[in-house]
Amino acid sequence: MYCFIRTAVMAALFLSVSVIASSQNDSIAKADSGLLKQIEQQLNSKETSPATVQVRTAPSTLPDISVIGDFQASYRNNVKRNFDAGINEAELSFQSVVDPYARADFFFTLARDPVTGKFSEDLEEGYITTLSLPFHLQLKAGKFKSAMGRINPVHPHALPFISLPTAYENYFGEGINDEGVSLSWLVPNSLFYQELVVQVTDGPIDNPSFSRSVGNTYLKLAHLKNFFDLSANATLELGFSGVTGANSYDFRTNIAAMDLTYKWKPVQFNTYKSFTWQTEAYFSNADTSKNRAVNSFGMYSFINFQFSKRLFFTGMYNYSNKPFSASIKENSYSATIGWYATEFQKIEIEGKTTSSNIEKEQNQVLLRWIFVIGTHGAHQY
Amino acid sequence: MKLKIVFILLACIGISAVYAKKIDVVTTTTDLKSITEFIGGDKVDVSSIATGYQNPHFVDPKPSYIIKLSKADMFVTVGLDLETGWSPQLLSSSRNLKIQKGSNGYVDASVGVTLLQVPSTINRGEGDIHIFGNPHYWLDPINGKQVAKNICDGLEKISPENKAFFEANLKTFDDKIDLKLKEWTMKMAPYKGLKIVAYHNEWCYFEQRFGLVIVDFLEPKPGIPPTPTQLVKIISEVKSNAIKVIISSPYFTTSSSEVVSKQTGAKTIVLGTSVGAFDNIKDYFDLFDYDIDKLIQGLE
Repeated sequence: MYCFIRTAVMAALFLSVSVIASSQNDSIAKADSGLLKQIEQQLNSKETSPATVQVRTAPSTLPDISVIGDFQASYRNNVKRNFDAGINEAELSFQSVVDPYARADFFFTLARDPVTGKFSEDLEEGYITTLSLPFHLQLKAGKFKSAMGRINPVHPHALPFISLPTAYENYFGEGINDEGVSLSWLVPNSLFYQELVVQVTDGPIDNPSFSRSVGNTYLKLAHLKNFFDLSANATLELGFSGVTGANSYDFRTNIAAMDLTYKWKPVQFNTYKSFTWQTEAYFSNADTSKNRAVNSFGMYSFINFQFSKRLFFTGMYNYSNKPFSASIKENSYSATIGWYATEFQKIEIEGKTTSSNIEKEQNQVLLRWIFVIGTHGAHQY
Repeated sequence: MKLKIVFILLACIGISAVYAKKIDVVTTTTDLKSITEFIGGDKVDVSSIATGYQNPHFVDPKPSYIIKLSKADMFVTVGLDLETGWSPQLLSSSRNLKIQKGSNGYVDASVGVTLLQVPSTINRGEGDIHIFGNPHYWLDPINGKQVAKNICDGLEKISPENKAFFEANLKTFDDKIDLKLKEWTMKMAPYKGLKIVAYHNEWCYFEQRFGLVIVDFLEPKPGIPPTPTQLVKIISEVKSNAIKVIISSPYFTTSSSEVVSKQTGAKTIVLGTSVGAFDNIKDYFDLFDYDIDKLIQGLE
């Protein structure tokens, strides 16, 4: 009797499953039972057979290692040596988490002296970053690129142009890249992204605006980043920076900066087209004596169009004084075409003209070939 | 009156407490979001970083994603280096120890999945090769069951008190996969062994599950855009194999496949690779419903 009931229940269940299944699609109703059995067998064998252990790439504690080559060729007028070519820089990076609480990043550089042709090594950056501080804080210690505006934190090979913006070079040379500590706070703002960074460093050695003081004057920097999603495809970033430190006159230089970046990148076809407009302005106040202060200004603005998966164009304008001379006025224009073979290789060609009220017009044509081997971390958005 | 105010305040606190109990999950893709919603039910609040119509290899690491990640209790990733260009940077900027790799809130959905196309040697000369194997494993519904199990395990670690709830949902999900798989397999049965061409090498799991044979790809190597030489080769292959269909994804332009279509008469069909690729793909089951129906329409 019990057996009969069980069989009846099983049959009813089977029928009901069949009815549900048949209501879902006519094609199932026509199915031949042999195929159904085959499918059921496949499903069952998957469920009952012991899980096969597939060997994956051997685990390793080695950090991500990469080498970036930067080959450059150039023509410049109004200089003694017009043509030059060679490896401008080789960057070697090591990046990894240290333990559950921190990660470390090291970037070594072998840079070529354009006059002697000799290479000299340097620690471009080397720092530890915490992953686990409370209150959305993040601490960085070591040597790092300062959080000054939009250009300074980025390695030159990742920029969409070859020569640095004239205004940036006039005020910061090759950049503020210094030893110290950095504390960043993710502001608890649910409306838009806001990050406040405060940094104290020793002060750069070779920099147009700042010098490393022998006394207790350190370079202090603050940057507030505000990032807005205008739509799924468009974003706006507005940043404010302030930096103060000793200068070569043994007095103080204060620089206030503002950056504005608009990006349009259609989410669906983000590898094919994009547009960026980025502008940065620097307001400098440099004391050169007890009674004399120089107020000067510099700015750049560029647009970057991506026409296709591999083709990019950048056009830039610069206006700039010099940190200790507001009477010098420089204007420059540049155009860069970039061909990106893959994420690991790009070729760019750039034309730039710079005019000033104290020097002859300078024209230059640059070619850059960037190539990466190994695993290199993503750059900031 | 005072009693009324106290009651309202208590009600507000109660509502907040219920709301606060939800597990905040951020997934890298919409497929993982959909499966997490099936398993987590009303105990989870899930958001995805990538959209369903976006190439998951190339998501821009916008700072706004960091806000979501900084508050998340759990992070679910496809893994196998699919998101290597963007998710590590976002994770380390999140300042959230709960979701870092190795923490309870970090779920690698690929764990336990039998991978295809695991390379024996690695050479970037072969294009964008994934060192662990092809990462598009969610396009086999059986692998969806393993993903669901991994997500269930992750949720249980975070909220052990809801273990029975998650496991019941997992069972329902698995049963539905089994039921639907019969339907999908039956639909695709007449096309077993059918040769097709694809734009990018992301269909191997779908191909294996439903018995298709992908003869070649429009990309000469993964990640390298189609070249004229490759298109000539494809045209010849399409003609010699009487191929009727070229499959592509929403985030690739169809200009190259249309060239082949014009020369051969083969149809270009854009299939969904993720939930949300098209408006009517609202969950993980819709994804296969859509793709299979679309493919069959194209073949008929």
